[in-house]
Amino acid sequence: MFWSIARKEIVSNLLSYKFFVVILLTAVLIFTSFFIMHRDYKQRLSDYHLIKPKPDEPIAVIPPNPLSIFVKGLDDAMTRSFEISVIGVDVRAGQESGNIIFSFFSAPDFIYIVRVVLSLVALLFGFDQVSREKEKGTLKLMLANPLSRAKVLSGKWMGNFLSLAIPFLLVTLLGFVLLIFDPDIYFSSGDLFRLAVILFISLIYIALFLSLGILISTLTKKAAASIVILLFIWAIVVFVIPNLGTLLARQIVDIPSVRALSEKREQIWTREVLLIYEDKDRIAHFQTIHDDMDKLEEDYRNKFSRLIKLSKNINRISPVASFIYAVTEIAGTGIGEEDCLKRDIIRYKNNIFQDVVINKKEYPAFNYRYRSLSQIFVQGALFDSAWLIFFVILFFALSYFAFVRYDVR
Amino acid sequence: MLGTIIKKELLNNIFSFRFLVTFVLFIIIVTVTIFILTDDYVRKVDDYSRRQREIENYLGKYAHFNRINNVVSPSQPPVPFYSLIRGLSSDVNIREFDNDPLPVIFPLIDLTFIVTILLSLIALLFSYDSICGEKEDGTLKLMLSNKFSRSKIILGKIIGGTLTLIFPFLFSLIIGLLIILLNPRVLWKGADWGAFGLIILGSILYFTLFYCLGVFISSRHHSSSASIMTSLFVWVLLILIIPNLSPYMASILLKTPSRIKIGREVDRLQDVERDELGRRLAGEKRREIYKKYPFLEEGLSEAEREKRIAEDPDYKKAYLELTQEVGKAWNEANRIQRDKASIIENDLTRKEEAQERLAAYISMISPLSDFTYLATDISSTGIRSQEHFGQIAGQWGIIFWDYSRKKIASLREENPAADVWNTPVDVSDMPRFQYKEEALIGRFKGTLSFFVVLIVYNFIFFIAAYFSFVKYDVR
Repeated sequence: MFWSIARKEIVSNLLSYKFFVVILLTAVLIFTSFFIMHRDYKQRLSDYHLIKPKPDEPIAVIPPNPLSIFVKGLDDAMTRSFEISVIGVDVRAGQESGNIIFSFFSAPDFIYIVRVVLSLVALLFGFDQVSREKEKGTLKLMLANPLSRAKVLSGKWMGNFLSLAIPFLLVTLLGFVLLIFDPDIYFSSGDLFRLAVILFISLIYIALFLSLGILISTLTKKAAASIVILLFIWAIVVFVIPNLGTLLARQIVDIPSVRALSEKREQIWTREVLLIYEDKDRIAHFQTIHDDMDKLEEDYRNKFSRLIKLSKNINRISPVASFIYAVTEIAGTGIGEEDCLKRDIIRYKNNIFQDVVINKKEYPAFNYRYRSLSQIFVQGALFDSAWLIFFVILFFALSYFAFVRYDVR
Repeated sequence: MLGTIIKKELLNNIFSFRFLVTFVLFIIIVTVTIFILTDDYVRKVDDYSRRQREIENYLGKYAHFNRINNVVSPSQPPVPFYSLIRGLSSDVNIREFDNDPLPVIFPLIDLTFIVTILLSLIALLFSYDSICGEKEDGTLKLMLSNKFSRSKIILGKIIGGTLTLIFPFLFSLIIGLLIILLNPRVLWKGADWGAFGLIILGSILYFTLFYCLGVFISSRHHSSSASIMTSLFVWVLLILIIPNLSPYMASILLKTPSRIKIGREVDRLQDVERDELGRRLAGEKRREIYKKYPFLEEGLSEAEREKRIAEDPDYKKAYLELTQEVGKAWNEANRIQRDKASIIENDLTRKEEAQERLAAYISMISPLSDFTYLATDISSTGIRSQEHFGQIAGQWGIIFWDYSRKKIASLREENPAADVWNTPVDVSDMPRFQYKEEALIGRFKGTLSFFVVLIVYNFIFFIAAYFSFVKYDVR
């Protein structure tokens, strides 16, 4: 019985205008996104080959991450050129910092499409599941058969989930296969595994919004009311909470602005330049610059970690934030990974200062190893995925309770 | 007759469930957003004054001309409009080691977001069934069996719908403004109110645009469930996709040379290569002067030299000439290398500007970008205000340059033997940078094109809605 309801849902979806529009939209968006982000990646890769440091240069640059085609995240910030000098780290930013329009809108990567568009699409599949059938009168007919309400609901859920997930997976895989044909891009088996995990979490995310749609549908009598409520919840959960949460956290954690920090650095450096001319012991002053800046940096890093932690916890009220945290970290373009990279660069700088400026050795090369998946999961991605699954179950359970008491007449 | 239809639309909307939800949603989101943004603005003001104090403090103790430019470089103070619109103000600072990744992952939300995303969504939610919904209910037939002309019906629908929906938006904004006004730390001047009025005008245009679009889509469909699908489809493309694609498309179409590579090259030209050239030119000059005044060549220690300058006027004159000529040689080296660097830099800037312009033009297809540029430019938080800031910072730079030249000359006069770059100086008479917003009229003129695009879109969608409704089969 369960499968016959699921089958009925799939068939009725296949024939609907809604399905046509949604699949068209998904396909167009995913292909466009893959195409654009692929080109963007290739440009950044060729830029990397131009700026790759020679062995005797104390410069830390990592190549762009191939997974940034799907999850751009902070890859632009991570692939900057960090040039070590006696006073610290000079940073040069890549192409995007030369075009201000980039800072107005977020990157249209795969994860953006899933986060914003597919969540909306999943709601559109769920919003009229119960209320529409009631309006049409088919709900009465269905329940006149020897069918448990639990089966009706789970059959509906499964049917809709499959009719959403299968085309989505097909389109994504097709787009991905087209990418693989490009000989310039190399995905390691680790990357492929990470991509599979990201795809799996995306499916959970879609399931979450489908369940939310069905839940609201069982709580309202009219489909028109259900869609209005859902779109508002969607706007709040996808845009408002994650973005206001970070601002709210900033109000609680007292952290100097980036600008204040860089001004402070200039002041330290300029002060020591003056003092060098007064007593001529250069190395001692370089050491002071180095120590003072490190102190500043450490203090800032500590405050910043507190800010991140707090804002993460506030934002997690919305499962959308959890989704973003999980996928960006898994792709290696998230806040945690960027932090690790920066800590590595500071370590590299300190080594250079010790070995080259003081002990006069040769410059070591910079190497960065991304965190392993198990580390990423332990450091938060596991919690975030579990949190998503919790919401799916919660919404489904709530819609079950609401549906059991639903007046089908 | 038009009045009757408008009244009917008004009542119809006001008593609907979706109107109630919209109202509650607006009040919650607008007040929470403005509340948090206002607090954040106050925090930014504090941060700014703390930074200025630290700079003053520093200048009191360690001012010298070698690197003073880097310490006193002007920065833009927060503008009072930050409690409504953020624009490009978020502190990402990709050029610093401690850049802030949070705004990249979660962009800020502000009034621009509320208008561009929520208001457009609401406009479509109320208009998607305005024609086909009435057809489904059967009321459209009844309405047309009266002596109504179709043009009056569609005009009445659009006016009525806009009037009702603008109300919750304006009402929630008034509450938000109260929050701003009651905060003693936020002071709005006359121009800010003018700017606010213009932004409200822009948001009304933006809203009617989407309302007309919704009515147009509705009059192309015969069932409301199909109409909402098409509406959301168009909405996703216009609002969520085109703006975000635009900078990427521009960067593919108009490539720019590698920024990092050019940056390194420019630094090399003005650092290592400049030093080589400067040393060579200064050496040549020094040899010339030594030929003229052979007594300068004696290796004197600093103390001996100072003594001799004080005692021997001829030596003083010759020594001054030497320092001046060597200084000129270094200036010459600086100029040559600066010219070389500016050729590649200007080329990069020109290409980047062309790419940026193309990106802006592509994104202007979407009303979202038009409104975003309009609101950020008028509120002094957008591209235009950054350019304006660059201009006044440049003007201040010239004033500062004059000041520092005079100051250096006077230092030299006091003690010709001193290293004027690395001597502590009293800079309490230094001209301080003062930020002044661009006049409102200039900002308005700059954003006229965005207003025009919004009006043209309104016009197109209205005409389209009108013609499809005239041909609509109401049966």
